[in-house]
Amino acid sequence: MRLWKSWIVTRKDLSVFRKNKYVLYSLVAMPIILGVVLPVIFIFAFNAQMSVLPANQVLAGVNQVISLSTMYFVLIPAILPSIIASYSFVGEKIEKSLEPLLATPTTDGELLLGKSLAAFIPCMVVTYVGAAISASIIDFWSYTSPRIGVLLIPNSYWLLVIGVVAPLACIMSVEANIIVSSRVNDIRAAQQIGGLVVLPLIFVVIFASVSAQTSMLLALGVTVVLAVADVALFYLSREIFQREEILTKWK
Amino acid sequence: MIDTENLTRKFGDLTAVDNVSLHVDEGEVFGFLGPNGAGKTTTVRMLCCLIGKSGGQAKIGDYTVDNEDDCLKIRKIVGLLPENVGLYDSLSAYRNLDFYGRLYEVSDRKRQENIERLLRLLGIWERREDAVGNFSKGTKQKIAIARALIHEPQVLFLDEPTANLDPEAAKTVRDFILELKKEKTTIFLNTHNLDEAERLCDRIGILKTKLIAVDSPKNLERSLYNRKTIVHLDRVSDAVLAFVRNLDVVKNVKVSDSKLILDMDNPERDNPEVVRAIVQAGGNIQYVTELRSTLEDVYLKLIREASTQ
Repeated sequence: MRLWKSWIVTRKDLSVFRKNKYVLYSLVAMPIILGVVLPVIFIFAFNAQMSVLPANQVLAGVNQVISLSTMYFVLIPAILPSIIASYSFVGEKIEKSLEPLLATPTTDGELLLGKSLAAFIPCMVVTYVGAAISASIIDFWSYTSPRIGVLLIPNSYWLLVIGVVAPLACIMSVEANIIVSSRVNDIRAAQQIGGLVVLPLIFVVIFASVSAQTSMLLALGVTVVLAVADVALFYLSREIFQREEILTKWK
Repeated sequence: MIDTENLTRKFGDLTAVDNVSLHVDEGEVFGFLGPNGAGKTTTVRMLCCLIGKSGGQAKIGDYTVDNEDDCLKIRKIVGLLPENVGLYDSLSAYRNLDFYGRLYEVSDRKRQENIERLLRLLGIWERREDAVGNFSKGTKQKIAIARALIHEPQVLFLDEPTANLDPEAAKTVRDFILELKKEKTTIFLNTHNLDEAERLCDRIGILKTKLIAVDSPKNLERSLYNRKTIVHLDRVSDAVLAFVRNLDVVKNVKVSDSKLILDMDNPERDNPEVVRAIVQAGGNIQYVTELRSTLEDVYLKLIREASTQ
């Protein structure tokens, strides 16, 4: 596989996405909502009760803020690909550009990788920007709070989730969405079906939000599950991507 | 340059292309004529290694279609203009061509040169930074042709290049194909525009799932009525008629009003003798013409015959 060929496809897709206001607004809105608005709400809610809480409950509350703020950054890279990756092959179909693209001396694997990177890169950039903003807000709050007085992030849990779980969730979502995108003819259908991938991760986030502790065990478990899912989806996408079928069956 | 032998493609029970054998020379413009659903696009897709074949053999240059390694090489030496232009509307004309140039592995310098040359040739250079979505259909088609040529392919496949274009845009595209013909690019042209095929192609293949006929447009036109000469006289006298009937070179004579319709094997060689004979017999010749069938006549006849088989 020639990575530089994939990179050509990635760069083109990124240029196309940059011109698509719907994609652009979605990319900007998500980290603002999850990276800024949600931590601020948690902090305000927690601040209202903190003065009357005993020390052990303050610690539990702080852990919950970290847990929630961190796990939401698993959702961002899982949700965003349903917007971007669904444009991948369906977008090519709508522009009727798939046939000339498939006629170039590019292999299926190179095309798939190029398309995947084009969805992965902006999603992860946005995730990390959002995570950096969120971490700054939480650290500013915790450092200036008289009952905490320390920087909470980064800690090992945050590093594991943001550094490993989030990219794995993103890869899983990108692969699933590209598979869906190469099988359906309509962007909305691609987004809706692709969006289902996020459901299991939402359950994980809900579980994390009701848990008072930042669970390394949960994060490690999610890491393993996502890694297995990523590998399985990679092979599935290679099996499913048949250029002949895409050309002859798409109407 | 293009060779197929019994090339066949089936989709389930439906045979889209049935035992097509043809040869296209280097530098030749070969036209593929046929009604919708005749298998033209399927043939081109097979030859461009976009879809597989169900049977037979096909080669582009030295490379075998359907061989995985050769397919990448084939895609490198062929250019394809599909039926739909398939450009990226939000990207500029330059960026569209640059993207494909890179995928076709054209070096930076050559790619820039080719983009400039093609866009200047097509009169779009000044608008190279405009988004393709702002261009007219005809201009988009020109950019799509430039895209197919960005890597200087040895073989160019054009699938309905003037379909849905207004007459002016269609003429621009045809003129451009004529320019390419002068440069000796091998061109495989799918069309159902008979006039276009006649004007552009060295040879034409008529396809309706099977390849019904292959020949030059002139020979195809002649094939319908053999070779006939029409001699227009002020009147056809018995003496003239008898004189003409006695000529060995004339195989058959029909009279229609004041015209003689003569059946001959080689009119170019025999017409002078016939004209002299008619004048000697006292006939007053007004003019001499050839009875020609049009490509449309031939096409319709062959397609109808194929449909009834």
